[in-house]
Amino acid sequence: MRTLLAESSKIKIINYLLVGIISIYGLSQKKFTIGEMTLFQKVVTELLSPIQSGIVSSQQSFSSFIDNYFRIVNTNKENRFLRNKINSLEAELFQLQVAKKENARLKGLLNYSKEIPFEKIMAKVIGWDSSNQFKVLRINKGERDGIKALAPVITHQGLVGYIYRVGVNYSDILTILDPNNRVDSIVERTRTHGIVEGILNNRCVMKYVVKNEPLEIGDRLLTAGVGGVYPKGIKVGIVTQIHKENTGLTLNVELTPSVDFHRLEEVIVLKDKREKLLNKVLKQNKEGSHRAIKTQ
Amino acid sequence: MQSKLSKTILSFALTLGLLIFFEIITSAFLPALGWSDNRIAFPVVIILFLAIKLNSPMVAWFILALQLVHSVFSIEGWALGTMAGITAGIVAGYIKEVLDFSTPLLTMITVQIFQVFWFLFITIVISLKVGSFDHFASHFFSALPGTIILSVMSPGVFFLLDKIWSADQAGTQRGVSL
Repeated sequence: MRTLLAESSKIKIINYLLVGIISIYGLSQKKFTIGEMTLFQKVVTELLSPIQSGIVSSQQSFSSFIDNYFRIVNTNKENRFLRNKINSLEAELFQLQVAKKENARLKGLLNYSKEIPFEKIMAKVIGWDSSNQFKVLRINKGERDGIKALAPVITHQGLVGYIYRVGVNYSDILTILDPNNRVDSIVERTRTHGIVEGILNNRCVMKYVVKNEPLEIGDRLLTAGVGGVYPKGIKVGIVTQIHKENTGLTLNVELTPSVDFHRLEEVIVLKDKREKLLNKVLKQNKEGSHRAIKTQ
Repeated sequence: MQSKLSKTILSFALTLGLLIFFEIITSAFLPALGWSDNRIAFPVVIILFLAIKLNSPMVAWFILALQLVHSVFSIEGWALGTMAGITAGIVAGYIKEVLDFSTPLLTMITVQIFQVFWFLFITIVISLKVGSFDHFASHFFSALPGTIILSVMSPGVFFLLDKIWSADQAGTQRGVSL
């Protein structure tokens, strides 16, 4: 019995070691700025994302159902008929209001997108990253719709982020709230350059701003168009706090993103000739890995 | 032997189903209801159950498979959680005698302690990977509210998993041998 147990724990240790080595290798290959979906991930995403999509799109009907349930539950028999009628009319009105709001939103998106000289792909947000450590959104458009990795994503309010990884019919967006997404930005009023990074709690910071820059609260930040990912002039956010420390050469600038990420339902993916850049980045990544292996 | 294997496969398939169910709740259902700031990391509690309570020599591979499915729902990927999971398994192996899941409160406390170390480990590895500790605090503290909610829910999740893996009280206290 004791030998059997010892044998079992030996196998356990060997398995731990094997899986540990595999995961260290996996981690060494992992990039938090751009990713590729594996065949397995693509297949599972295709199977499960319709459920996510269904849940998000049925959320309004669900809320309406809950509202109606609580309204009806306390009524007596006499006014049930009338109440039901009112409820059905209210539900209809609610649907119309939802449609009206959606119409206004889409009109806003359309009007805004006309101003940008890119091919646009409209997409719906269908899910959020299940981990707290990353601020990622999932949309219902993918390779089949012509979406490529690194494509910028916007709304009429401003910049959302860029495409991190692409599936066949679904893609993930690395939003500007994520610390791994760095946006080269410019202050509209003073033309001051800086790098905007997310700090996870729905806010961003602007880094590398020289201390004597005359920034003010309320200043608007735009994309600088440097770096090749984002086009120039897209709204990023508004300066909400400026900390001037006695030591150090730079300012701590905090900003609120232009996009209300809590109410984000539709986005526009800008389609550009990003393939060249993507191929370049992927080539650099590969070369980097080869070089690292060679030096080892 | 064959029935033991088929039982293990069935238990694992049910655990996978539970993970997918929780992932959809976290990534679509709760955010659609307006809960978008704090994600509840259900995979963590499932992997902690496997790592702490299962005595199977295949635990490492179960963790890897669960993390592969988790990588579909999060750009975190599979490697980070697998490393954290097997580290938790190794640590639990050493301190098995002091781990006690006999009451819901003890389960909550144990899960909370493991979760804190889990996120500390993950945050350190992410910071090392991106080459910057600038966001260490925000990364770590953004995960904490979710860990408390998850710890409160953990006796329920452990109860479900105990049923799935047919663990009796004696087994749960010393680890389920498979």
